[in-house]
Amino acid sequence: MTENGDFKTGGFMYAVAIGIILVVVAESVFFMVKSWRHGKKLGISKETMKNTIFSSALFSVAPAISILTTVIVLAGALGIVLPWIRLSVIGNLAYETTATKLTLESLDSRLSLSTDITDPKTFGAVAWVMTIGTSFALVLLPLVCKTIQKKVGGALQKNEKTSRLGDIISAAAFIGIIAAFVANAINGRQTKEALTIGDAGFMSICTLVTAIVLSTVLETLCEKKNLKKLEPFAMPISMFGAMGVAVVLNLVLPEAVSTLTWWGNVA
Amino acid sequence: MKKTKREKTYFDSVHLWGRLWSIGALIALLMVPTAICAHFNAWPKLTEIMVPIGKVMLLNWTVAVVEVIAYTPMLGAGGTYLSFVTGNIVNLKLPCGLNAMAKANVKANTEEGEVISTLAIGASAITTTLVIAAGVLLLGPAVSVLKNNPVAAPAFGYVLPALFGALGAGYFRKNIAVSLVTIAAGVITLLFSPSLGVGTLIFVTIVVSIGSALGMFKLGWIK
Repeated sequence: MTENGDFKTGGFMYAVAIGIILVVVAESVFFMVKSWRHGKKLGISKETMKNTIFSSALFSVAPAISILTTVIVLAGALGIVLPWIRLSVIGNLAYETTATKLTLESLDSRLSLSTDITDPKTFGAVAWVMTIGTSFALVLLPLVCKTIQKKVGGALQKNEKTSRLGDIISAAAFIGIIAAFVANAINGRQTKEALTIGDAGFMSICTLVTAIVLSTVLETLCEKKNLKKLEPFAMPISMFGAMGVAVVLNLVLPEAVSTLTWWGNVA
Repeated sequence: MKKTKREKTYFDSVHLWGRLWSIGALIALLMVPTAICAHFNAWPKLTEIMVPIGKVMLLNWTVAVVEVIAYTPMLGAGGTYLSFVTGNIVNLKLPCGLNAMAKANVKANTEEGEVISTLAIGASAITTTLVIAAGVLLLGPAVSVLKNNPVAAPAFGYVLPALFGALGAGYFRKNIAVSLVTIAAGVITLLFSPSLGVGTLIFVTIVVSIGSALGMFKLGWIK
């Protein structure tokens, strides 16, 4: 068994990541070439197709930076390579974070996202849960994509109410995931046994409120002033801003306040 | 008549290749944990991972069904197969594909829409993958330094409130009633059991959020 967490960022893990990334790029190139050829047959101008590729690439740079910054959330426990792999394929930060936290809670209640995982078995367990937990769409698509596109697609386009209901359920499911973490920051603790940094208390509330306020201010600013370029950065700026506030408060506040949780002070 | 035949042939071909790539990508993905466990000779016990896998499956697989049904008609066939492999659909691939089709003045579910949507989502997937790869190579050393720095280290303890506060603010603002009810349900549940894991709490909050959203939709409070 490895005694430190270095294995998580070793050459082997980078090789696995590069292998996966090659699959993603190869699939994208394959479908793009196929579409380009068919576009030419349909008489779509080269200029239109080139503009589509160029503007879509540009459109994606800022959100990609935003996704990149969120790798840091999982890097504390898992190193940087596994989150990189996960957020390059299927990955979605909320789902990956949930899968990681759930696995750690299940294996050992003392483990959290800020614990450096040093046991390869735990690391492997997290990788399995993340992979199986998010792969269902790839099982489902070969079976139903064609039918959905032909039948449901038409029906949904004709029936606005059904389409709207789908959007509402999707948004509600996402709110459900986020709300669990928010409630945990307001009133949750990581273990029954001992109080730890990250348990709900003065600092968790300050961090949460700062993140919400910063994000709301930045998003409102983007809407009112039509700052499209700032939009994708609102989330990462708010997240890092809130983490920065946590660092500053930790430095300037008396220990009795900065370590205060609703169940007493962290030792 | 000729157009119908051509349409059928092209869409059939996209679906055939899409299926093959999806199965290939699934195998490649499953190879990641297999390779990790084999290389480090560290296989977790099946009984240890069954519980978290069951919980995550219940949660994500339900969402996957909704997402496949909701997004496929908007993304087109090629765009759908690509998007579900590369992820980040709501926050990136969907707006990117829709934006490209609007700019090119074509409609989803037409051959022209299919071509433009696939080109846009492919370009987006490659760009995202390369930006993340380049960033990780630069960020890697910085993360290690920050985690071991006594001043910066406490920030990692509060990364979840920072992340989900920032991520949720927009959703909360747009769906304030559903959000308040759901967060309140989570907080009340934790009053009875403060150390209840988030993985379990999520089932409470998702049931409440979807239930309340459907109720409000029926009552006409959400349009």
